This record gives sequence, C-alpha cells and structure tokens, in this order.
Amino acid sequence: MPALIATVAPDGTPNVTYLSQVFHVDERHVALSCQFFNKTKQNVLANPYACVELYDPVTFECWRLELRYLHAEHEGPLFDAMSLRIQAIASHTGMTGVFKLLSADVYEVERCEKLEGFIDVTEQLELDDPGGRRSELRGLQLISQQACRAPDLDTLLTTVLESLDVAFGFEHAMFLLPDETGTKLFTVASRGYSEEGIGAEVTIGEGLIGTVARERKLLRVSGVENDLRYGRAIRASAEQAGARRSISPEIPLLGLSDVQSQMALPLVVGDRLVGVLAVESRERLGFDEWDETFLEIVANQVAVGLDNVLLRERGRDDALAPAAAATDPPSVSWTRARKFRFFAHDDCVFVDDEYLVRNVPGRILWKLLRAHVDGGRTEFSNRELRLDPWLGLPALRDNLESRLVLLRKRLELKCPEIRLPSTSRGHFRLEAACRIELDESS
Amino acid sequence: MAILLGEPLVEFLESGVSIVVGSRDANNRPECARGLGVKVADDRRTLSLYLNAALAERMRADFADNGRIAIGFSRIVDHRAVQLKGRVIGMRPATEADHAVQDRYLAAFAEQVSYAGLPRSVVRSVRLRPALAVELEVDELFHQTPGPGAGRRIESFT
Repeated sequence: MPALIATVAPDGTPNVTYLSQVFHVDERHVALSCQFFNKTKQNVLANPYACVELYDPVTFECWRLELRYLHAEHEGPLFDAMSLRIQAIASHTGMTGVFKLLSADVYEVERCEKLEGFIDVTEQLELDDPGGRRSELRGLQLISQQACRAPDLDTLLTTVLESLDVAFGFEHAMFLLPDETGTKLFTVASRGYSEEGIGAEVTIGEGLIGTVARERKLLRVSGVENDLRYGRAIRASAEQAGARRSISPEIPLLGLSDVQSQMALPLVVGDRLVGVLAVESRERLGFDEWDETFLEIVANQVAVGLDNVLLRERGRDDALAPAAAATDPPSVSWTRARKFRFFAHDDCVFVDDEYLVRNVPGRILWKLLRAHVDGGRTEFSNRELRLDPWLGLPALRDNLESRLVLLRKRLELKCPEIRLPSTSRGHFRLEAACRIELDESS
Repeated sequence: MAILLGEPLVEFLESGVSIVVGSRDANNRPECARGLGVKVADDRRTLSLYLNAALAERMRADFADNGRIAIGFSRIVDHRAVQLKGRVIGMRPATEADHAVQDRYLAAFAEQVSYAGLPRSVVRSVRLRPALAVELEVDELFHQTPGPGAGRRIESFT
C-alpha cells in the first residue's frame, strides 16, 4: 500500500498525493522518492513541512509522520539504493519508465506515531481465496515476517506452526532441534497432536526424521509403509528398553496413528543443521510437489530466523553483567511438597517418582533447585549457565534457549509449581509454589 | 467559484478508489488522512467526504481555521488519479444514510485493494465509525495519474 503525503504551498493551498517509497535512513531520518519536480517538491522547497501516513503491508495498520525537508540527493549510496527499489517496484506494477528516480529527498522525522483506532487488527490470518495464488503468496509473506521478526525461539516456532495450519492446512507438524551432542534431535514445538510431545528425541540417522537430519535433504513419503512410520522406531526401542529397567523413559515421538503421508525437511544454515520440520497427513496423497517447494521456502526462512534468534540471545546474554546473586528468604511456607530426584549417571530428574527431564535441561534444573534450596537463590542469568562447566554446554552455538524452552514446557506439564519466568534480557527467576525436597542418587 | 463535476468524474470518485486528504493549520503545517468514502450531491457541486472522527481532530481544527482542503483519488488497478482542491463549507456527524455510503465504499475499496494482495477481510477491518462528514465545494481539478503530465490542472475528466 503506498504511503500518502500532504504538503502546503506558501499561499496556504494544501496538496496531497501518494508516495511509492518511504525509505528508512536512520532513527531520525527518512528519504522519500522524488520522480518528478511536482507540487510536493515545489511545496517543500518553499515550506519544508510534510505529513505522511504509511501502512503495514500485511496488517494495514497505520503510522503518521511529521517531517521536515532537509535536502535532496541526486547520487550516492542512498540514491542508488532507492533507485534500485523503485525500479523493482516499477517493473512489478508495469510502470517501468515512469518511475525513474530524480532524487532521494531526505527529511527529518519530527514526530512518529501509530494511529490506534484506524483498523481493528484481527488475530487470525483470514484468506479470501484459500488455495488461490494471491493467498499463497500472502501466507508465505506472513510466515516470512514471523520467522524474521520473532522476539524469541518459542514465539518463532509457535507462530509459524499456527500459520502453516491456519493458512495452508498443515494441521499436524512439529519442529525438532539438535542437542548439544549433535547425535540427537529433540522436539521443541508441535501442533495438531493430542499431546505436545515436547522433549521427545530422535537419533540422527534413524527413521524418516533422523534420515533427513543426516542427509540434509527433504524426504516425502506417501502411502506410508509401516516400517517407515517414524513413531515405530521409537516404540520398538522403548519396547526393548522395557525388557530392562528403564530409568530413562522415552517421551514417545508424536505421530498420527492413522498417518498416510509424511514429509520432513532439514533446516540448514550454511553447512549446519539447525533443526527439522516434520509434517504429517491422514490423506494418502497428502503432500505433493507444491507442498515440497512451499515448505522448503518456509524451512529456509525458519532456519535463518532460528539461527538469528539463538545468536541474538547469546549476544545479549554475553553483553550483560552477571546478575547479583539475590537471595530471597522464603516468605510463604507451602503445604505441598514436591520431591525431586536426580540420577547422576544419566542426568535424569524425576519429580515424585515421575520422569520430568534429563540431559542438559536436567542438569540445569538440578543446578537451579540446589542453588535455591541450599543458598536461597531465586535470580539467575543465562550467562552463568553458559559458564558452568558442569552443565556441559558447548562454547559455540549452545542452543541454551531451546533447552530452556524445553525445560519450561516440561515443568508446565509435569510440575507447574516450579516456574522459570524471564525477568529481563538474559535473566530469569525461579518461582516455587511448593516445598522442594531434593534427593541425589547415583 | 465552485466547479460543476461532470458525470464521468462523479462516477470515478464514487467507485471505491483510494481517497487521501490534506489540510493545513494557521501556520501552514500540513495534516493528512485517509478518506473513508465520498458522496457527490445531486447538484454536482457539493461533496460529502467521510473521515474517522476519532482520528480527525487536527483536521477538523484546520477546516475550522481556514477551510482549505485537498483530496486525492486514485484507482488501484490502473493508477488513474485526480486531485480536487476546494473549500470546506460545513462539518457534521455522519448519519445512517452516510454510514450506508461508507459501507458500500469500503466494500468496493476492499475489492480494489485485493488486486494489490491485501485480503478483503483485512481492509474491511478499517474502522468507519464514528464518522465525520465534511461538506465541501471544489474549486480546482488536477490530473494526478503518475507520469509526465501529473499535476496539471484540468477542466474536465473523461
């Protein structure tokens, strides 16, 4: 949607027209494209003030800017960048030749405000013609925006899964991320299953998902053969494990019992696997070439978005000073007690004899619980987790945020009395609505 | 002073095109807004323009101060555009009849905008009420379709 601009001639006559481009220069400046020496330009040369409204291309929300004209550039990097964009827009709208940039006009932004009340923003994405070309592109645009703008890992994965479902009918889907060892993937977000299945693991190389992770190539299976159902491999190994005492129960990998088609895609950035997207359908020919192409595009966007979110978190955490170890004497005495047991030989944490979490998230939880019970600590930082050698997080790309997401979700499911809310960037708190009893076994 | 608007022009103005509005205050500072519908009176000299009343405080004050107004109309599918400049002669809250015009306008506008990829459901979420009806007379007409001739004054629209 083009922006609009109003200016005023010295004689007091207002003028209003459209702008093809409002280019962000820096926090206080924008550049407007000038294609002709028109009334707008005439006006601002004599009376520098302009009023602009611009619109979010996806939600149509509206912002109002008060601008003051500074100068025009006829060459240079700003001019070149705008010129290129104008040409791209022009060819898209069939106006090549009409839209040639005369100058990049730089304005100072004196005021910028969102016009609340211009539009009622709907939560759900509605499509005019589901399946139509425009809808597809728009859905992709939305997912792309979600992938790039998500503030954190959980939001990224959850919103993309929702859009894949609502806009494109991929009703049963999940994201798996690699663990610290690089030999397994664990489920970190899912949609369309009766249980969340968070924490379920896949060994790289095993089953459909494991194969996709190893080969770094998309795999699509229609009319699923029994032995390719990815649930099976895990069930089989769980049955075997039942023969001996299973101190480390598997969380069953999610899968439709009546699945007919499956597809899994690698999320790759450079030469690194950053995750896998897996989708299922009850229809025999549930996925076709279109779905492959489309989901590959989505997978690429999510891969980059994922990598960025994790890097950003890391960068933020490193930049912050370590939190003062705040101690809070327990002010409430809870009647309910929950007993946590840590099995050091396989890093498992059980709560009231029920399996809770293990491996790195297990160690993280145990560290936090110990610090809380022994030292009364409630405030923690991501940084101290990264620096603790006992936790075993790798120095680079440690996936800490994904491990915390997993831990929080498992706690929500199995032990909601313990919460780990974020307090500020890179910091979180342990909140306990129960007495904590700790038992360490070997 | 007020010009008579020809039939083709009236048809164009009322056809669900994109409407943008400009005003200015006592210090010649501009204000802008999106128009939410327009109705040309039977005499074809007066127009009613609708604005979101809650967002139009500044514009309302501008009209009260000096009455100057500029309105741009642009058809999305082919960029055909005109600009009217004139004087505000009255302002009033919108009536039921006005709301009916606005509803039709928004539906037609949503249709046009869908060609540009914005779903009708999104455009239909634009708030129409409460609405301010601005009555005006047109003094000048300008060709505004992008291209070399844009900005020249015209006598009629065909």
